[in-house]
Amino acid sequence: MPKQDLKEMMKEKAQAVQSVVSEVGSIEEAFRYAIDITRKQGGTVLAAPGLGRQDASAFAAFRALCEQNGVALVKESLRAEIGKLHTGFTVADYGIAETATIVQESSCEDLRIATMLSEIHVAVLPAARIKPNAMALENELKGEMKSAPSYLAFISGASRTADIERELTIGVHGPQELHILILDGDQA
Amino acid sequence: MITTPHSVKEYRGQLKKALENEFLGTTLDNFATAYKTSRAKAFEGIDLEGLIQEIAAGKDASIPCLEELFALFKVRAEAAGVTVHAAHTATEANEIISSIARANGVRKIVKGKSMTAEETFLNTHLEKAGYQITETDLGEWIIQLRHEGPSHMVMPAIHLSRKQVAELFTRVTGEHQDPDDIDGMVKVARRELRQAYLEADMGITGANFAIAETGTLGLVTNEGNGRLVTTLPRVHVALVGFDKLICDLKSALRILRALPRNATGQAISTYVTWITGANECAPGPDGRKEMHVVFLDNGRLALAKDPVFSQTLRCIRCGACANVCPIYKLVGGHNYGHVYIGAIGLILTYFYHGRENARAIIKNCLNCQACKSVCPTGIDLPHLIKEVYRAVLEVEGKKPVKNVLLSRVLKDRRLFHFLLRRARLAQKPLAGGGDLIRHLPLFFSKEHRFRSLPVVAKNPLRDIWEHINPRLPKPRYRVALFGGCLVDFVYPEQAEALLKLTREHDVQLEYPMQQTCCGLPAKMMGENETAREVAVQNLKAIDPANYDWVLTLCASCGSHMKENYAKLLADEADLPVKVQQLRDKIIDFSSFMQNVLKVAPEKFVESHKKVAYHSPCHLCRGLHVTKEPRDLMKTAGLDYVPAKDEEVCCGFGGSFSIDFPELSAELLKRKLDNVEATGAGVLVTDCPGCVLQLRGGMDKRAAGKVKVKHIADVVAENLKR
Ligand code: SF4
Ligand code: SF4
Repeated sequence: MPKQDLKEMMKEKAQAVQSVVSEVGSIEEAFRYAIDITRKQGGTVLAAPGLGRQDASAFAAFRALCEQNGVALVKESLRAEIGKLHTGFTVADYGIAETATIVQESSCEDLRIATMLSEIHVAVLPAARIKPNAMALENELKGEMKSAPSYLAFISGASRTADIERELTIGVHGPQELHILILDGDQA
Repeated sequence: MITTPHSVKEYRGQLKKALENEFLGTTLDNFATAYKTSRAKAFEGIDLEGLIQEIAAGKDASIPCLEELFALFKVRAEAAGVTVHAAHTATEANEIISSIARANGVRKIVKGKSMTAEETFLNTHLEKAGYQITETDLGEWIIQLRHEGPSHMVMPAIHLSRKQVAELFTRVTGEHQDPDDIDGMVKVARRELRQAYLEADMGITGANFAIAETGTLGLVTNEGNGRLVTTLPRVHVALVGFDKLICDLKSALRILRALPRNATGQAISTYVTWITGANECAPGPDGRKEMHVVFLDNGRLALAKDPVFSQTLRCIRCGACANVCPIYKLVGGHNYGHVYIGAIGLILTYFYHGRENARAIIKNCLNCQACKSVCPTGIDLPHLIKEVYRAVLEVEGKKPVKNVLLSRVLKDRRLFHFLLRRARLAQKPLAGGGDLIRHLPLFFSKEHRFRSLPVVAKNPLRDIWEHINPRLPKPRYRVALFGGCLVDFVYPEQAEALLKLTREHDVQLEYPMQQTCCGLPAKMMGENETAREVAVQNLKAIDPANYDWVLTLCASCGSHMKENYAKLLADEADLPVKVQQLRDKIIDFSSFMQNVLKVAPEKFVESHKKVAYHSPCHLCRGLHVTKEPRDLMKTAGLDYVPAKDEEVCCGFGGSFSIDFPELSAELLKRKLDNVEATGAGVLVTDCPGCVLQLRGGMDKRAAGKVKVKHIADVVAENLKR
C-alpha cells in the first residue's frame, strides 16, 4: 500500500479511538507541538527518555527549546518525577494503520513511565514506519522478542474504561490523550 | 464468596429473584442490542468464517502439545531471567505465588484482571496469608470492594448501576459521589489506585497469550492497568492457564484480530503488551524485575487429551457467548456460571469447580445456538453443554424419572405412538394425558400456565396420509416428508398446507411410515444412547437414496438430523454414507420453495397482509437459513414487517420450559411484546415447536389478537385457486 494511503488510513482509524493525528515536517516541529500543548494545558514538565538515550544532539535542541518556553525537560530516573509529568514525548518504532496503533519497544523503564504516567502522550511516528496491519510486522516483532528482555507496547488511543454502566470514559489509569505526529522524510 | 446452587429447586428460586431485577434486565438487553451492532461493524471487511477456522486450527495445533510448549516456553523465558513454574492444582498455584511473595518480602500487591486468578480464588488465599491486595481494573476493583465475583468475563461489574457504584465510592472515600458523574467516579479510581501502584511490592497479572517460541507473554487491556502492574512493583508474577500456550507470534496476532472485535466491538484494545524476560526495574534486584510465570493445570492437561472436550481449551475468554445468550440476558452472570460465565462457564464449571456447582446451572440452556454462532474459536458450546449434562447424570447415577421413561418410550415407536393416541382419548391438552404423556418429547406439565397447550390431533398425519396425498402421474421431484412428532400428532394441518403447494408444483411427497421422533429431545436430556437408537430407526425408515429431497417442516428436527446424526452414529460401520446422504438432502420448507421450486409471485394472491416473523434458532443458526423465509413471504404476497430480536429464542427449548418455566415465560413475553409492537396481524415462523410456544403464549394474552402460523400455512392460504 502506498505511504500516502497508509497515512490516511492511520488518520481515519485514529478517530475511532479518539487519538489526535497530525503531520509534522521536522522533528523540531514535533518539539514545538509538544511544548505548545503542554503549556496550553498548564503542564510544566515534559519527559523524553527515549530521545535522551538515543540522540543526544536532538535532545539538547529539545531541551533548549523547552527552556526558552519555561517548561522542564527530563529524561531519566523518572520514578522520582511521577505525579509531576505532564507530557510523555516518544518516537514510535512502528505504526499499524488498520487500528491506528503505535508500536513502542519499551524495555527502558523510564520510557514506560513516560508513556504510562504522564497526563498526555505525544508520539512521533516516522511515515515510512507505518505498516498496514500487525501481521505485516510479524518479523520485526519477533526479532525484538528474540533479543530479550523486551517490553513491546501496542498503544491505540488513550486509557479507557466502560466499567461503570458501559459508559466510555477516558483516562482511567494512563494518559488521557494520545497525539500521533506523523513525520515524513528521514529526520527521525 | 461465590456460591452456586446445587439443586434446580434452589436455583429456580435464585433465578426468580434475578428476573425481578429491572436494572439488570434493561442493562443486559441494551447491551445485547448494542453489542450485535458494534460487533458486526468491527468485523466489516474481514472474512470472519475464515478467521475462525484459522484460529481454531492454530489452537488445535497447540492443544495436543501443551506440555512441549510449556517446556519450550520455560527454556526461552528462563534464558531471559524469568522463573517459570507449573502448578497442578489451584491450591498449588496459590501457594507458589504466596511463597514468591514471602521470599521477596512483599507486603502490598496490585493485581491486573485475571480470570485464572478468579478460578483459583487467589485473592482470598493471599489475604489469608496476610497480604494486602488491590485489584486495579476498575470493574474488578469495584467488585473486590463489594466482595463479589465478576458477573462477566470482560465487564466484571456490568450488573451494577452507577448509583450502586456511587454509594460504594462514597463509603470508600468518605466523600459524597454523584452517581451521574461517571467521569468523576473514574477519577476517584485513578487517584486511589495510583497510590496503590506506587506502594506495591508485587504485581500479579494473567495473560492472554504465552508464546512458546520466544517465551513471551501477551496482555490485552483497555485501561492500561496491566502496564502499570507489570512496571512499577519490583516483583511481577503472571498466573497463566496452560491453555494460553501457543506455538508462535503468528497465532497470537491472528487471535488478536478477533479478540477485541468479538469482545467489545473494538478493532483493537488500547494496550497490547508483549513481555519477554525480566525487564529493567529500578527497585528490583540489580535493577531488573523479579519475574515469575506460574502455569496452571487444574485439569487442563487432562482436558487437552479428551476427544470431545479438548476444544474448550480454544476459548480466548472474549465473553461473547454470554453477550448473546438469551438466558444470560435475563438473569445476569451471577446466575449463569460459577466463576466462569456464559456458555463456556457452564462447561468449565464442571471441570474446574466440580460437579456440584455445575449440576443445576448446566441444565439452564435452550440449545438456541446463539453462543456457538459468535464464538471466535468455533467451539460447539451447546453440544458440549449437553455432553456435560450427560456426564453429570452418568456420574451421579441418579437419572430423573423422566429420562428413564423417555428412553423407554422413545425407543419403541409403537408404544410411543400408542401413548400419543391415548392422550387424545383423554380429550385434554397434552398436559393432562396420563402419567407418562407429560414426559414424552412434548414434555408438558400442568404448572406451566403461561401458555395454553394444544391437544393431540383427532387424526394424526400418518392415519390420513393416504387419503390426502394423491399420486401424481409425472412428478418433477420425489420428496420424503419427515414429519416430526408435532406435525404428525399435533399439527397435521401444516403438512396439509404443504401438500397443497407441492401438488400445485408437481412434487410427489411421501411419508415413510416407520419414521419416528428425530431424537432431539433425548439428546437434550443427555440420553445419547436413545438418541442414537432412534436415529438408526429413522435412517432405516427413510433411505435418502430413494428421494430427491428429505423435507421437514420442523427446523429442530432438520438441524438435529443434519448436525447431530453424524456425531451420534460415528461408530456405526454401515451408516456413514447414508448419514451423509441424508445430510445433503435435508431441506427446510422455505428453502425448498424458494431455491428448489423457485415459486413465482404470479401463483399467489397479493393479499398484502402485514406479517411479523420469528426466526427459529434451529433454522437461522442450526440450518443457517435466514433469507429464504423472508423472501418467501414476499413472494407469497405478504407484507413482512421486521420485529426487534427476530432471531432471539422464543423460550421453548424442548424440556427447558419444564425445568425453567419462569425463564421460558419471560422470553416468550419479550418475544410477543416485540411482535405486537410491529402492528402485524399474523406472526409467521417455521418450526412447529415455536408455533406451539408462540401460539400458546399469544392465546393467554388479553390483547392477543395476533395469529400465529407456520409459514407453510400462510403461503398455502395465498395460493391462487
Ligand atoms: S445455546 Fe443458547 S441458551 Fe444455551 S448457552 Fe448458548 S446461547 Fe445460551
Ligand atoms: S467460548 Fe468462545 S465466545 Fe465464549 S468466551 Fe470463549 S472464545 Fe469467547
